[in-house]
Order: sequence, then C-alpha cells, then structure tokens
Amino acid sequence: MTAPPPHPVPPAPPVPPADMAAWHRLHPLSPLIRTGRHLVALGILVLLLIFANHSGNNDDFISDIVVVGIVLIAGVISWLVTRWQVADGVLRIETGLIRRQSLRFPLSQVQAIDVVQTGLARVFGLAELRLRMAGADSSGGRLACLPLADAERLREQLLAMGHAAARPAGAAGPASAPAPPRPERVLFRVQSERLAGAIILSRPGAYAGTAIAVVILVIALTGKPGIIVPFLVFGFGIVTSVWRQFNTEFGTVVAEAPDGLRLRSGLVQTAAETIRPGRVQAVRLVEPLLWRAFGWCRLEVDVAGPRQRRENRSEGQRLRALIPVGSRADADRMLGELLTAPPRPTHPAPAGARVKTLLSYHFLAWAGDDRYVVASRGRICRKTTWVPLEKVQSIRWVQGPWQRRLGLATIRLDVAGRRVTASIQDRGVAEANELLGELPDLARAARSRGLVS
Amino acid sequence: MTAEPGDAEIRWQRPSHLLLRARRIQTALVTVPAALAGGIVAGTAGSAALGLGIGLGLVVVGLLCERFFARRVAAWGYAERRDDLMVKRGVMVRRQSVIPYGRMQFIDVTAGPVERSLGLATVRMHTAAAASDARIPGLDKADAAKLRDQLASLGESQAAGL
Repeated sequence: MTAPPPHPVPPAPPVPPADMAAWHRLHPLSPLIRTGRHLVALGILVLLLIFANHSGNNDDFISDIVVVGIVLIAGVISWLVTRWQVADGVLRIETGLIRRQSLRFPLSQVQAIDVVQTGLARVFGLAELRLRMAGADSSGGRLACLPLADAERLREQLLAMGHAAARPAGAAGPASAPAPPRPERVLFRVQSERLAGAIILSRPGAYAGTAIAVVILVIALTGKPGIIVPFLVFGFGIVTSVWRQFNTEFGTVVAEAPDGLRLRSGLVQTAAETIRPGRVQAVRLVEPLLWRAFGWCRLEVDVAGPRQRRENRSEGQRLRALIPVGSRADADRMLGELLTAPPRPTHPAPAGARVKTLLSYHFLAWAGDDRYVVASRGRICRKTTWVPLEKVQSIRWVQGPWQRRLGLATIRLDVAGRRVTASIQDRGVAEANELLGELPDLARAARSRGLVS
Repeated sequence: MTAEPGDAEIRWQRPSHLLLRARRIQTALVTVPAALAGGIVAGTAGSAALGLGIGLGLVVVGLLCERFFARRVAAWGYAERRDDLMVKRGVMVRRQSVIPYGRMQFIDVTAGPVERSLGLATVRMHTAAAASDARIPGLDKADAAKLRDQLASLGESQAAGL
C-alpha cells in the first residue's frame, strides 16, 4: 500500500482530495486473496493426495506446488500492473500485462458501490470495492483489495463525487455541502436463531430434512451405512445450498443512510450494498405456509441494474432479501420505508374465479392507487408484489381459453428485469378491460410526476 | 369475439394480407418434405399402404396447422395511440399489450427468407422488462421501416428513466 493517507479532517468533501488524483496500487496481499478460493481448493487437493498415497508420491506433490506457484506469480504480476486513479469525476483502472486494459467509470453514472469481503479477506482486514453501473453486463469496476477502512472511505468519497457530478452545475449550492456522516438508523436486524429456524422450515431446509430422514431410514432398514455413499453427492449439494443461504443472509442489517438503505449481510463473506429508494422496481412479500404459523415473512426488493452473477447464477435470479425472515411488523415498517403509503391488497378475486383457482383463490387479491399497484397470489405460499406505477414498463392483458369461458382475464404489469411481474390474476373481464384502459394513463401520470420531482 | 377491452374507440391496424401467404408457404415448406420423408421411410420399411397412410396423415396435420395459422393471422392487430402502442394477438390465449413509447429501449426489424421474398418484415419492440415482448409480424417492408422510425422518434421524445 502506498502510504495510507492520513484520515482526512472534516470527512469527505466532494472535491477530490489531492492524493486521489495520483495513481494507486491495490493492497499487496490482493493476489493472495483473489486466488484464495483456488488456493484453498488446491490445498485440499494436495492434502487429499498426500493422504491417498501414504508413500507420498513426490511427483504429484511437486507438480501441485508448481501449479500453486504459477497461480501466485500470475496474481503478483497482475497486481504489479494494476493501478487506479480518480480524476475529473472518473475512476480509471488500468490493468493487464499482455492485453492492456484501461477502464473508465464516470462516477455520475454509478448506480451503487458495494463493499464485499470474502472470508480470506476478512482475516487480513481487506475488502473489495464493486461499482455497479446501469449497463446490462455485470462487469462493473472491481477494486480488489483495499484495506477495509480505506475501502469504506473511498466508497463515501466516490459516491459524494458522483452526486456532485450528477447534479447540474447551478444547483451545487447548499445541497452539495458536505453533510456530516449521520449515524445510521438501524431499521432491521435479523435474529440468527430465527433465521436458522426459518431456513429449516423453508424449501431447501425441507429437502435437507427429508434427505436426512431417508438416509436414517435406509441405514436402519438395511443396516449397511455404505449403501448411501453413491448419493453423497446429492447430500453435498443440498447442504451447500442451505449453507449458502444461511451464509449470505446471516446477520442482515438494514440501516438508513443519507444515500438510501444500507444493507449488510454475510457470515463468512460479508457484503454491503446501498439501495436507493428511487431505484426500487418492485417489492415482494413472501409468506410460506410454515412461516405463517409463526407470523414470519420475507421481504425482497428488485433493484434496477444487474446483480453480480459471478458467485452463481441462481443468486442472480433471486431478489435481494431486505428481510430474510422477520415478523409482519418488521415487514410493514420496512415497506413504509421503501414506499410511501403502500396500499393493501383488498379486492378479492370475483367468485366466478373460484372454479379455476381452487387452490389459490384465497390469496388472489389486488389493490391500487395512483402510485402503486399491489397484487397477491399463491397456492400455499402467499406472494404479494408491490409495483410503483412509475416503473411499469408494459401492461399486458391475457385471457386463456379456460378464463374466456369463465369470463375472466389477467392483467400483468412488467417492470425492468426478468424477475418480477405483478399479476392481477383472474379478474372479471369488465374489470380487467377497465384496468387496461386506466392503468396506462395512471402510469403515465406517475411517470411525469416522477420526472418533475 | 366477445369482450375485447376497449374495442370501441381503438382503430386497429392489421398486418398485410400477404402474411397469411407467408405462413402458408412456411407450413408447406415443413409439411411436404416431412410427409415425403415419412412416407418413403415407412413405405420401404413396412408396406406401401403404411407409407401412403403416414404421408397423407402428415399432410392432414399440415392442413390443420394452416387453419390454425389463418386464425392466428386474423387475430393480430396493433394500434398507435397517443402515448402508447397496443398490440393484440392470439387465438387460444388472447393477449393485449400496452407499451408506452417512452419505455421502448430499442426496436428491430427482422425478415426471414420467406417474409423477404414477399416483401414483409417483423417489427419487434423491446423494453427494459424481459417479459414485455411485443412484435408485429407481416408488415409491408416500407410500412415496417416507417413504423420503426415513427416509434423511435416518439420514444425519444417521451423517454423516461428507469
């Protein structure tokens, strides 16, 4: 690290401090941490090999050492040729030895900046800075790794500069004055025991429980534990999925910060991200059957822009859980924080729909005002989706053959992304037609209001 | 055609009448080789009667598809309203989409070989939502280009952020 800059007194004015304009290197331990995952895997492999052939076949061992060495040297070279700089409201990262890359990230376009700590990085007190841009491809800027304190401070500074750059020059009056970092107001903190219980009662937990029960049953019946060995792979898959959920959602804390809601979570790998209220495309409340018995629920948000899909794909398709598990009161409070005066789904589906929707009729409802539309559905797991009309991309009216016979139709409201659609299911045709006539106008009014404010 | 939303005040425009011909050609292009191949294979492997039966059966399937496509083509319609584009389609599952001009991210015009030979093109509208797919097939090429430019300029003037 090039001499960590002394803590700047009064913190973070939007003017870039002089030291940021110079070229910086990442932390010298970065290559170790970036290759950390491979290193751990290789280490396990080496240990396994040593145990496998007790004689200690030296050739294998040496070849492994060589592989590890090459990976490390490649990492060190990559570190040597990587440097970053902040100048003129642009973050520039230069990297690459053979294929030289120079990346420019205009700070005014940055959607959010996340601070992510992998397990190994936490050991050394380092963190990775990820810039999220609005573009469709997820390769935003990554600065891995910086000391945690520096990363946090750099994040603040970059965000402040981004705001200053995004604001028109004339308006840079009192609003841009460096707001003293207010203490964050914690809105929600997940309870670890409840999270563990909730995961056990959720679908992956149920799979794991069933699998364990089957294993015990099989062993008890056959008396031969060896019979389950071929199925260990599946067991491993189930365990990792449960573990991953626990790991990402453990210790979720949502706090109110000047630039939006700060969301922190993670057991081994911690992540921090900021959700700006204006970026929320949809909010979804999920109440599975078993959770309802305890009065628990889950609150998820859909935010514009790509989720990082590096970790795994399923993660990218899931919504961000603001409340992995909490009481209805928690959810209501958070909902009030995200949306102003959200309506409740109060209009149940018409009685004629009962024939078609025998199993889900009891949850079908919707409501709407001039700002939001909310619709709930589901068979045993109730899903309630709020969509701001301002964010609606398109409105669809759909009628299947079965619905036509019953005189029903469904209205769907699409928001950006491929995950969420609020679906006002199985309404009477007259009502659906009326909605299709009204909603576009309401959405347009909401959009133009959004542009003004 | 009962109870289509807002049928009264909307002036629906329809795809070109050549679209039905395009669909017929496409159906024939699949049906005839399939019937020939099926008939010949079954005829050589089994009896000649079996081959003839399978060939004729496939032709009948193709004709049924033709009826189906004819109804589908008849169901397409689009309307340019003041602030949004409406597209309706579907026979079994009927759909109508409303897409505000300001929400259109990009518009592409495509034409397959059959469509091209008849001078047709398909206009496809994309929004930021993956679910809202709106396309208008079988537009006359000039109409398609005009519609594309018109939508693009309307989209530009009404564009709204995410």
